[in-house]
Amino acid sequence: MKPEALDFQAGVDALRPENASKHLDFFGKLLVDNREMTIWEHDTRLLPAGARIWRRRARDFARRYIRPDAARADSLPREYDPRPIVSQAARKGFQNLLLALPLGTAFPGSYFFKSASFQVAVVAEEFAAESGGIALLLMAHHLGCAPLLLSGHVPTILRHLLPLYARTLRGRPEIMAFAITEPGAGSDVEETEGGARARLVTTARQVDGGFVINGRKCFISDGAIADKVTLFAKLQGEGLESWTCFLIEKGMEGYSIGRQEHKLGQRASDASELILDDVRVPQRNVVGSLRSGWANNRNVLNYSRPVVGAMALGHARGAFERALEFCRNTLLGGKRLIDYQDIQIELADMMIKLWSARALIWHSCSQFRCYQSASAAAKVAASDISFEVCTKAMEIMGDNGYLESRGAESLWRDSRLTQIYEGTNQINRLAVIEHQWAEMSGSLFSG
Amino acid sequence: MDLSLYAREGEREFVELTRAFVRKTVNPMFGGDAPDGDLDRVPSILDAAFEVGIAASPRSGMPGFEYGIWGTSSDNPGGVRLSAILLSIVAETCAGIAMNLHVQGLASRVITSSENDLPEPPARVAVALQEGHTPPCYRALLGQGGRSDEGIGTRAIPAETGWVISGSKSFIYGMEGTDAFLVFCSTAEHHGGENPGCLLVPAGAQGLEVRDIGGRTGIRACGLSHLALKDVKVAPEHYLSSGEAFSQVGQAVCLHWLGISAIAAGNASGALKAAREYAAVRYQGGTTIEEHPAVRKLLALSEARVEAAFALLLQTAGFASGNADFLRRCAITKLMTTDWAFSAVTDALQVFGGYGYMEDYGMEKRLRDAIVLKTTAGSRNYMETFISDAGRGEIR
Ligand SMILES: Cc1cc2nc3c(=O)[nH]c(=O)nc-3n(C[C@H](O)[C@H](O)[C@H](O)COP(=O)(O)OP(=O)(O)OC[C@H]3O[C@@H](n4cnc5c(N)ncnc54)[C@H](O)[C@@H]3O)c2cc1C
Repeated sequence: MKPEALDFQAGVDALRPENASKHLDFFGKLLVDNREMTIWEHDTRLLPAGARIWRRRARDFARRYIRPDAARADSLPREYDPRPIVSQAARKGFQNLLLALPLGTAFPGSYFFKSASFQVAVVAEEFAAESGGIALLLMAHHLGCAPLLLSGHVPTILRHLLPLYARTLRGRPEIMAFAITEPGAGSDVEETEGGARARLVTTARQVDGGFVINGRKCFISDGAIADKVTLFAKLQGEGLESWTCFLIEKGMEGYSIGRQEHKLGQRASDASELILDDVRVPQRNVVGSLRSGWANNRNVLNYSRPVVGAMALGHARGAFERALEFCRNTLLGGKRLIDYQDIQIELADMMIKLWSARALIWHSCSQFRCYQSASAAAKVAASDISFEVCTKAMEIMGDNGYLESRGAESLWRDSRLTQIYEGTNQINRLAVIEHQWAEMSGSLFSG
Repeated sequence: MDLSLYAREGEREFVELTRAFVRKTVNPMFGGDAPDGDLDRVPSILDAAFEVGIAASPRSGMPGFEYGIWGTSSDNPGGVRLSAILLSIVAETCAGIAMNLHVQGLASRVITSSENDLPEPPARVAVALQEGHTPPCYRALLGQGGRSDEGIGTRAIPAETGWVISGSKSFIYGMEGTDAFLVFCSTAEHHGGENPGCLLVPAGAQGLEVRDIGGRTGIRACGLSHLALKDVKVAPEHYLSSGEAFSQVGQAVCLHWLGISAIAAGNASGALKAAREYAAVRYQGGTTIEEHPAVRKLLALSEARVEAAFALLLQTAGFASGNADFLRRCAITKLMTTDWAFSAVTDALQVFGGYGYMEDYGMEKRLRDAIVLKTTAGSRNYMETFISDAGRGEIR
């Protein structure tokens, strides 16, 4: 380097915040945070103890077990055997997070002062940063369990949820799935006004000792591999207001798996059609009380949408990290891409967006009960941000961005789904308004 | 949106011919299980394109020589405009097939506009512009002050009989069975200076390695490879430029960006049509979804973006010329149209709800194609820098 360049570099170094702050007084120095620490670490330290511990465990698990499987699960989903990863996750306690210790594996502090979803959400982000498909494979299980818990029906919890959790902890995990969508009713089972006009076919007829169910569900995540499904059906002769949740078990006569979809991303988890042909369901498999299904479903969505947001955030974070690595390792005109100012601005924009999504997700599940508008807002914001950030990550990498070997494009494909399921982002926007409707004429944020 | 409305008097027959070609040969690719259509049919589709003259050929006796996509009629702005419209029409059904026609036309155009006549032009040919992460010969197009002062990395050295080329080219789109590549090199002249030059390298040349690129997101109906050239000998008559190589690079880049823009706009137009049709039959919320303002908003924005993309594309095509300002306009067109087209496709997909995410409905393919078109041949950052440099008069 020439002497002038050396002088300039020395001048710059002296002005860097970490060096400049040495001139502050003692207390001033205490108030400056110049620790060399990743954003991940900074954010983790903000969390209550339980969530903090699960975030660290989830990152380690994702790197150790999910990362090596990610590419194969995406490119050959039909050949990918999900059982080993499910068992591994179960052994480590990731599949029992909807209940606090000692019944489940969630830590009581974070569980009772934050929502039951909070610890699931921090785990979801870590898993999804490595593979959208495997993340969904593991997370759809919680969605399937949620109606059992949120029914609030003690016999259901005692009869079904606790034994399931106990078996899982003993190393015999069971996979759960959640089934509301029907070929003729997608958005209609996620939204009030559509619900009132929904054309549902899945129907339960009361018989001696239980119910007989006929109908079809579609797009059910983990549907083909699930041991049990919380499935919603109307009662014969009634409408959606009669919706009741039933626990359907693999092997029940008349219950079969139909078409399995070929999808753009999140491929490790199947999206399957469930066919119910005179399936006899015993009374004990009614989840909660009759006609409580619609309310239960809506609340399940409230608890689950922040988790979907967290998965979206994970995809975007994963794509961002791959783009960052590319910018570090790629030279253009003798300089690393990351040393160009315009690239730095792009990367900063992506980081800001990721951060804001995380803030909203954590906010939405940081109370004991998740509520509709905040959950839907978190899901919409995080999934829109996710797709934008993933797209930017690919753009920064230019032609390399669309190569499968670079890893960003699969996360981009995974990310697109988060704008669609658990209610499209249009339907979720309507959920934000619906919940705050009474307030819409007054002041909303100023109290 | 009916793309034939963009065609002028006298151009309608080409539009009809292209539509018939798509109906007869491209449509049957789809309908099976494969997400990108039946790719085994691509060779016969391309044969048909040569036969009817939609695919340009650098051979003067061939049907597409003059009026194929980027045929010699693209000597004037009207011809450029028409080629862009025809590309869009093909891309409404399959962007990958359109890409094949575009890159063949682009290479034909470089050959037919060259001062040197090739004794026997190849039938199928592709242009090798890009190197490493750097999109189309950016280095060659920049004067002082750009991101690089390295020049084109691939070099051609004069030898006793012709030239010897060494270097590499990346992300080269081309028809399967490409006979030859047009390789843009830095040519060391006998008198010691260096000039960009274009040389024709037969696909079977010794020292040329054509590497498949591996799995990729979209535009899968068109071949994509990296080239490694190690001491490849090229006959003197395969040297295509004589001093005007620089404008040859510029012209190739212009047409490449316009072509990508046309394909992106066509792909988006196809997605929009499909979404409209779907919205008219899907029933949710007690009515067909086209009645819901949320869906109307998606469709309206998608339509506005498709229309804007065509407006910019066709306006730019109308300015076709060999100067640096045209290059700047083409860069702006690539930047904006691929961006609008991408947004239009993702909005159209959203209209399908969960069905849009499934391979059967063809929307996920359009989205995969749209992201490739947005990122290929110049990422957004690259285009922004280019436009800024061009605006400051730094592109020669
Ligand atoms: C991969 C995948 C996995 C899934 N996993 C599950 C699962 O595990 N369990 C499960 O039950 N479901 C699952 N789903 C279903 C998912 O939640 C639905 O796809 C989603 O709710 C949208 O429904 P739809 O696909 O029927 O779209 P539609 O409801 O047909 O929507 C089409 C379009 O119309 C709009 N629209 C519809 N109604 C209205 C209205 N009233 N007002 C305004 N706009 C409207 C929508 O926003 C959308 O743009 C999954 C879906 C996918 C794709």
